[in-house]
Formats: sequence, structure tokens, C-alpha cells
Amino acid sequence: MEVNQATIQHLAQLSNFALTADQSQRLESDIRAILDYISQLDQLDTDGIEPTYQVFEMENVWRPDVITPQDATPDELLDLTVATQDHQIKVPKVL
Amino acid sequence: MTTEYLPTIGIECHVQLSTKTKLFSEVDNDARQKEPNSCVSPVDYGLPGMLPRLNHTAILYTIRAGLALNAKINLNSRFDRKHYYYPDLPKGYQITQMYSPIIGAGSVELPDGTIIPIEHAHLEEDAGKLSHYRDYSLVDLNRAGTPLIEIVSEPAIHSAAAARDYAKELWRLMTYAGVTYGDLYNGNMRFDVNISLAPKGSKELGTRAEVKNLNSFRSVERVIEYEIKRQTRILQQGGQVVQETRGWNDATGETTDQRSKESAADYRYMPEPDLPPLRLTPELVEAERRQLSPLPAWYRERLTPVIGSDLTEILLDHQPLVAKLAELDDPQAIKLVANLFSSVLLAEENASLLNDELPSKTQLADLVTMRNQNELSSTAAKEVFLKYFDPEMHYKDTRTIAKELGVIQENDTAALEALVDQVLAQPTTAQAQADYHNGQTKVLGFLVGQVMKASHGQANPTAVQEILRQKLA
Repeated sequence: MEVNQATIQHLAQLSNFALTADQSQRLESDIRAILDYISQLDQLDTDGIEPTYQVFEMENVWRPDVITPQDATPDELLDLTVATQDHQIKVPKVL
Repeated sequence: MTTEYLPTIGIECHVQLSTKTKLFSEVDNDARQKEPNSCVSPVDYGLPGMLPRLNHTAILYTIRAGLALNAKINLNSRFDRKHYYYPDLPKGYQITQMYSPIIGAGSVELPDGTIIPIEHAHLEEDAGKLSHYRDYSLVDLNRAGTPLIEIVSEPAIHSAAAARDYAKELWRLMTYAGVTYGDLYNGNMRFDVNISLAPKGSKELGTRAEVKNLNSFRSVERVIEYEIKRQTRILQQGGQVVQETRGWNDATGETTDQRSKESAADYRYMPEPDLPPLRLTPELVEAERRQLSPLPAWYRERLTPVIGSDLTEILLDHQPLVAKLAELDDPQAIKLVANLFSSVLLAEENASLLNDELPSKTQLADLVTMRNQNELSSTAAKEVFLKYFDPEMHYKDTRTIAKELGVIQENDTAALEALVDQVLAQPTTAQAQADYHNGQTKVLGFLVGQVMKASHGQANPTAVQEILRQKLA
């Protein structure tokens, strides 16, 4: 896969990151190096091999549908946010 | 020559499941009338290191929903991450089922017999709720993590009316299956419609426009009517429909171009590493099938031959009513009670009564018997019926209620004859009797009235009339 500045800018936009020109350049070479490294796997013949989705071999991990006290209260959680108003999380305008 | 266009419509329907807790956290899933951000957990906030904990009941409800959709239940399914950046989604991704959903291909039969094929339906988590203000937005995470199933139809709907019927039938199926509160006003079911036009007979579909987040059957219908007109105009003028997401304004009745950031986004789907796959057993699916309540088609088959299609469809919007009707075996009883239900529904001041506890099978059976034996007139039957919903009366049996209301008709011929004789012996009726003998048959009404009065309204007026006729002949 080809990685260029447009790829980096697209990814940054999707993740809502504001990158400096310098950061963008460094990410381009980092991501290219990572992809090159991973792409060594392409040399293997994986025809007919079931993809691995997880490595723990667990299945059907679920819990009963019962309301249970949580580790943090709603107010403690709300306090973690930058700004609030009327018990809601206040964010920059999005629409 | 103007080209004729055939609309092709596909609908995605999001159904919020009415589990006690959220899909991946053990907090209250019913946020109605609750303070914003009061039903939340560290998982819903997407705090680092939090693991989703899958709700078993959500799986069972999904299976049940799939069975109601006449769908294949995939025994092997798993979850994926769909990435997008938006403040209503603190994790930065939604856990959904992109590749292996629980519910496979199915179908929905509309009241007129049209079959709408279902492509698949998947289980996913809802996002939070955003409210927009002039220069900021507010986020409420009460809804974040509510289990949703998204039902994806094939693009196989070809009119606004069929789309409305389909949306309504989905609502019935999901509420009858008992997997959602089905409260449209509170967004329990939301519809995304996509619609394209192609010249009639064409094998290829046209370019489609999508309208998201509709929360009523009526708006589904209006959006499609509007889009058919809009797209027809564009095509007839030789233009091209732009593939886009449009917003619906219920007040103006128009759709408008909606530039949304995420519409072009690459969602970067990947398998969800925090949730092991599901491997369901056929036994579990069969157990759910056995527990599934009767669906609209089952009631339709029983009720339509007795009370007709129009009345059946009206009553099918109220599952408890058709369930109550199904308890009655006699067609005449079903007819009478169905008409009483619909008369109460149509009188708006009474319609809410039917949300309360319904009359018992015995009460209704007695009502039918008394009506059949003419002990109750049709007006009296309705009066008694309304009293079933009176908190002072609802526990009483039908005869007691009718007695207390004083509406039981006297049908005993001997008693009625005695009453008639008594009235005819009164000097006040002598003139009327003479008039009747002179051919003024209209005075019969007056005489019936006198007998009714003497009976304190309890005589059967038809029987009285018959006796009077005989006596005066």
C-alpha cells in the first residue's frame, strides 16, 4: 500500500488530529516502515487457511442482564470531562 | 415523451432492545425520564482499559427478533469495530457486526401479502445523544451502549405506501416479539431510507439518495413521496441525482442536502479483539422459538376471515387487543368484542382506556351471551363494556355490572304482555289506541315509549313493539 502525505492527512482528518508539517512527515515514514514490516507476511501462502480473529480460543463470554453498581459514579465520570453544562458534556459545535 | 420511473427503496431500521442493562455494561438501559448522563459506566465513557461485557439477554432478544423476521439464525457470529470520530461515541469506534451478524437473510410479509426480503440484521451499540446549540453541542451518554439491532432490507420496496407498511410491520413484529418498547416518540425505532429511480424496465438501479434518522411511519412515507418527486424532476430535466445523505425537515416536508463529515469516512473495520466470538447452539435457538409470542400473521390468519381485513389491521396495532380476541373461540363473540374495541379506540376520549387492564375472558364471554340473548341492547353492551375499565367496577362480573347500570332488557314475554296490558288499560293511552285503529300507525312509537317508561327502560323495545302490534290488531 502506498503511503504519502495525502494518506496521512486523510487519516488525521478521520481521527480529528491537527498535525504539524513536521509530525505529518515523521508519521509518513513511521507508518510506511510499519506497513513494510507487516507486509513480509504477504510472502506466505494463506490460501484455504481460516483467518485468526482472536488468539485466546474463548467463545460465548457473556454476563447476566442485571443492573450492578459501577466502579465510578455518574458524577465522578462527568467530572472527568473538560466542560459541562446541565449535567451534559459540553463540546465544540459539531453540526 | 416522458419516461416513467420506478422507485426502488431500501430501508435500514434501528431497533433499541428493551434489555434491563446496556449491551456492554451493567447500567440501567431505560433512560426515559432520567437525568442526562445518569445511566453511565466507565465502559460507556470509553475510559482506557475498560472491557466490554456482553449482555446475554441481548443475544436472546436478537435471536427472537431474527425468528420474528423469519430469518436464518447464524450460529457463529462475532463483533467488529467501526471507527469514526464524533462526540457521541467516546471510544472512537462503535462495536457492531460487519462480517458475521447473528441474523441472516429473512423476510417480512406486508398486510397485502407483498414479501420484503431482509438482507441481514446485526447487533450493535447505540451512540449517545447530541443536542446542538448556536456555538456548542451537548452530549448525553445515557443512550450510549444501548443494544440495537439494525435490520437491513433488500432494495425491494417500490412505493411510499409499501415503505410505510413495511416500517409499521417491522414495528409490530418487534413489539409482538417483545424485544423493544417500540416507543417511536422516544426513538426506540429509527429508519434510514435510501431511494433511487430508474426508467421502468431498466435492469440497472439509479443513483440513490439516503435520508437518515426518521422516527415515524408517516415521515418514512412523506420522505419517499418527496424524493420521488424531486428525483423525477431532476431526471426529466436531463440532470443526474447526486449520491448523498439528505436531511428531512418534518415541518417543511422537504429533504435538503446534508453535508456530513463522516459520510465519506473510511470506517477502518477490524475484528473486535475484546469480545470472543459467539457460538450458539440449535437448542438455544429452538428454545427461543418456542417462547416466541404469536406474530401478526398468526392473528391475521384467524381474525381476517371473521372481522375483515380493515378492522383486523386497526386492531393489530394493539397487540393486547388481538391477544384478547384470540382467547375467544366463537366467531360471533370475536365480532362483537372486536367492534367494541374499535369503537373505544375510535372515540379518542376513551382510547387510552385500552392501555389499562383488559376485561377477562369470562366477562367478555358473559357479555356476548347476554347480548345474544337480547338481555343487552347494543348500546347497553357498550355501556357495560366501558365499565370494565372503571376501577370501581372492573372486578365485577358482567351481570352484576349490567344490573347496577339497570340496562338488562326484560325479554320474558309473559311479563312484557302484562306490562303492555297495564299500559293499554291507562286512560292516557286511549286516544292513541283509537288513532292506531284509524290507521295512524305512527302512534305505535308513542305506545312503545309508554311501555318502556313503565318498565323503567328495561323492556326490550323490539319485543314490546311486537306484542303491541298483536294486541292492537
